[in-house]
Amino acid sequence: MTTFFQVAIDGILAGMLYAIVAAGLTLIWGVMDVINFAHGDFLMVAMYVSYWLGFLWKVDPLVSWIASAAFIFLLGVVTYKLIVSRCIGGKSAMAPLLATFGLSMLLKNVCLNRFSPNFRILSGTWLDGKKWEAAGLVFSMPQVVTSLFSLAVILVLWHLIRKTRTGWSIQATSMDREAAELMGINTERVYVLVFGIGGACLGVAGGLMPSYLATHPEVGSLFGLIAFVIVALGGFGSIPGSLLAALLIGLVEAFAGFYIAPVFKYVAVFAVYLAVIMVRPKGLFGW
Amino acid sequence: MNRTFKPTDLLWYGLLAALALLPLVPRLLANSFTAHVCILILLFASMAQSWNLLGGYCGQVSFGHSVFFGIGAYGAGIAMVTYQSTPWIGILVGALAAAAASALISYPCFRLKGHYFAIATFAIVEIFNRLFMVWDWIGGAMGLDYPILDDSWKHFMWSTNKTGYYYGALALFVLVFSLVRWIERHRLGYYLRAVREGQETAESLGVDSTRVKLSAMALSAFLAALCGAFFAQYNYRVDPPMVMSLDMSMRFVLITILGGVGTFYGPLLGAVILIPLQEYTRAYMSHLGTGVDLIVFGLIIILMMVKQPRGIMGVLADLKRLSGPARSAEVK
Amino acid sequence: MRTKWAVALSLVMGLAMAPAGSAQDKVIKIGTIFPLTGPCAVAGERCKAAVETMAEVINNKHPEINIPLAKQQGILGGYKIVLVNADHQGKPDVAKSEAERLFNQEGVYAIIGCYNSASTKPASAVAERMKKIFLSGCSSSAALTERGLKYFFRLAPTDRTESQEFVEYFQELNKEQKAGIKTAGIIYENTEFGKHAADEAKTACKAAGFEVVADVPFNPGATNLNSEIQTLKAKNPDVFFGACLGGDYTLFARTMKQMGVAPKAAINYCTGYQDPIIAKQLGPDGDFYMGGTGYSPELGKKYMKEVASVEAIYRQKTKVEFDSDSIQEAVALHVLAQAIEKAKTLEVDKVVEALRTTTFDSPLSLGGKVLFAADGQNSKATSVITQLKNLVYFPVFPKSYAEAKVVLPFTPWNKR
Repeated sequence: MTTFFQVAIDGILAGMLYAIVAAGLTLIWGVMDVINFAHGDFLMVAMYVSYWLGFLWKVDPLVSWIASAAFIFLLGVVTYKLIVSRCIGGKSAMAPLLATFGLSMLLKNVCLNRFSPNFRILSGTWLDGKKWEAAGLVFSMPQVVTSLFSLAVILVLWHLIRKTRTGWSIQATSMDREAAELMGINTERVYVLVFGIGGACLGVAGGLMPSYLATHPEVGSLFGLIAFVIVALGGFGSIPGSLLAALLIGLVEAFAGFYIAPVFKYVAVFAVYLAVIMVRPKGLFGW
Repeated sequence: MNRTFKPTDLLWYGLLAALALLPLVPRLLANSFTAHVCILILLFASMAQSWNLLGGYCGQVSFGHSVFFGIGAYGAGIAMVTYQSTPWIGILVGALAAAAASALISYPCFRLKGHYFAIATFAIVEIFNRLFMVWDWIGGAMGLDYPILDDSWKHFMWSTNKTGYYYGALALFVLVFSLVRWIERHRLGYYLRAVREGQETAESLGVDSTRVKLSAMALSAFLAALCGAFFAQYNYRVDPPMVMSLDMSMRFVLITILGGVGTFYGPLLGAVILIPLQEYTRAYMSHLGTGVDLIVFGLIIILMMVKQPRGIMGVLADLKRLSGPARSAEVK
Repeated sequence: MRTKWAVALSLVMGLAMAPAGSAQDKVIKIGTIFPLTGPCAVAGERCKAAVETMAEVINNKHPEINIPLAKQQGILGGYKIVLVNADHQGKPDVAKSEAERLFNQEGVYAIIGCYNSASTKPASAVAERMKKIFLSGCSSSAALTERGLKYFFRLAPTDRTESQEFVEYFQELNKEQKAGIKTAGIIYENTEFGKHAADEAKTACKAAGFEVVADVPFNPGATNLNSEIQTLKAKNPDVFFGACLGGDYTLFARTMKQMGVAPKAAINYCTGYQDPIIAKQLGPDGDFYMGGTGYSPELGKKYMKEVASVEAIYRQKTKVEFDSDSIQEAVALHVLAQAIEKAKTLEVDKVVEALRTTTFDSPLSLGGKVLFAADGQNSKATSVITQLKNLVYFPVFPKSYAEAKVVLPFTPWNKR
């Protein structure tokens, strides 16, 4: 029975990490209907920022996440201004997706070029290897802390969208851009903000991850893919949807991995996604 | 129907003739790398055009074509390696299996719209990729390695020169493009475009959109599988990461869109620009060992999508427009 | 109209870009194909650097280096080795076309490559059809030398011989230390390399009477290995066989620590275990793991004293010591050069004859000699089993190499 709970806990912790990666994506997708193919690579860049701060100046990930978040916020803004803004609204719906695909290739190989393909892990961070044991269950501290941050970020984001004026303008813009413009909302600024905030969420996740995950140019790919699936599963634009979907995916991954076979982990994840989407084509909370 | 010989026909048959006679140009195919690039151009143009049928003409953007490509490749591979016989039977079986798989997969997926459909196709590729990696009968993660056999059409394998492969690729190219050309001018083509432009509107006019999409999907899958079989025969090996990956799926999409999605020559133009670029940057820049060729590639994709999302055909159309207002007024 | 011109123009451009023929100086062009980008880029870069190091040693007078051909300049009376490097990006189809390009366009004499067995297969098939020499330093799939090829040679021990050695060691431990090892669990990346290693492990275990209770493939590049380690924990085998490259290896070790999983022994194939940088990064968490090792600085100090001077050049390129994989690629070039020198000609068949029949002096090989059997496998390929402790790989098996007493069982995490 302990094993069952252990697997469940591992699933929830993994799911919380996925949730923060997905939160930014669902915001971007919900507001401007753009799939940012480079999302996983933004995460990779965030991890490198945090890694270098830790490696060169011994800054702990518990602190360097702020820098990562700020950096990816800027990266998101720049990406929007230089690339995405020039692609959207045209006849081709695929243009932003393919352009960000090109960006993904670019980011991955620039990091490969500058930082070499070596796997880099930080040792000696505050959380490194610490765990909390209770009732025969093991909780890995780095993952627990990341999950808490993730929850905090999602709550902040949700509050932002729901209860602040900025959030309302974001919602309005996502519902109908032209109408929002007519109401005096600077939708261009909203788009910039959204891309930036989406990036910042990733930055927080990527900032904390070097305490337990190795950083290398390919680290973001699977995270990015899972994020797409989670966002589509939860319904794009819905933050509670993406949180729920992320937890679901984390649990499916953990249970399938243990009770069926670890190699079928991701097959189960994608299969569950397809199963849900057949029944509810717009995702769990999609609108 | 009374067929008048139009200028576009002249262009098409002229191109075919030029391609058929290409091996006779002295230095061209003797240089095996140039031959390799030409073969890849024809192969990827065929792949892109098969995708174009579904993604361009019918407007259903799928990232799952590497599944069909892979099934075709495995059809050929299993025939060659597991059954030690001629690949031709395997190629046919593989293509039919791909068409069947596409019908099975797409039927539930067609209910999804836009980005949801795209993400669902990602999920399908990943599922197939991982399942094929653990399916031992087809070799699993180890893949299938071709035995070393004599050059022949029976084995569809050559090692001494590339002429056989060139004509094989050309035959594939002619098949795919001719089929699409035929569809473009007949009823199915009109139905495809009607569904692309507005599914509800098309249905209100009596078009059975599900049947149309399924036909497009099955044909598209069949042709993609033929391309996959060629790929396996060309590389003497099949394994899941080579053929059934997201990376391969993206190539189907990228080439078509860079060339001009939904146009007839788009896939060919995309291949003609992208394949030499990919091969030559890798050959002459990658030995620097630091991904410089892929950085260049990524930049070009970004630039193209930002500047002219309609691809090269869009660029050409713009040039045409700029070259004479009177002409464009006439066309309108 | 414009479309036709665009097509024609591109074809002409392609033709124009075809490179000119090579110069006629005293040069032997050797091609290398390694994964310089993609998931195995770290290993690929090191393999390339190893071959470059050996080329430098052969081409120039190095009185301080005590290996064959180092003290002279070039081979065959002044021929210099020029390397033409290619990247297969981890893809077998690219490896195949790069092999063709290197032979046809660049005119290389022979190719050394490709690290990944999946890429080595089609590339070496190309070489065989062209009747050109292909050497693989560290591709470990046994199938490579089971194809009956005449022009293919491989240096490193295969996963099959490694598995047999691991199993022999466990049998010895049972006999001498009453280790009580009865069951095994295999965790491996689900790729050509991992699957092959796992299959060989299963065969070897079966032959020796060990029961394989857990067979755990995982997807490389996974975001976590929790389910995998959980499964191993639940089945509780006495020993783990691991085939995890690079970053997955650190995840593997750390997840084991996190879950408090400590079998009697954890032994690894040529993987992240042998990577000195990963060992440094893992620190104490990497201790007590074991693995097959063809080279480590400690082994070098004792049995391969001449390596240090060559390693000095290698370190300038990579900032790290040789590892079991990269050193084999250097040996590949070394042995090829010696064969050419012995045959006194570049005629392929005579060089192949020399390769097949000579027992080469190879100070960079553990055991000091290289001799290819009829199937192309280096019959003198040796590896020892080492255990990592405090960043040092201590040999523990076979007895003739053993330096330290093995720490068995694997010290549990809470006792460190």
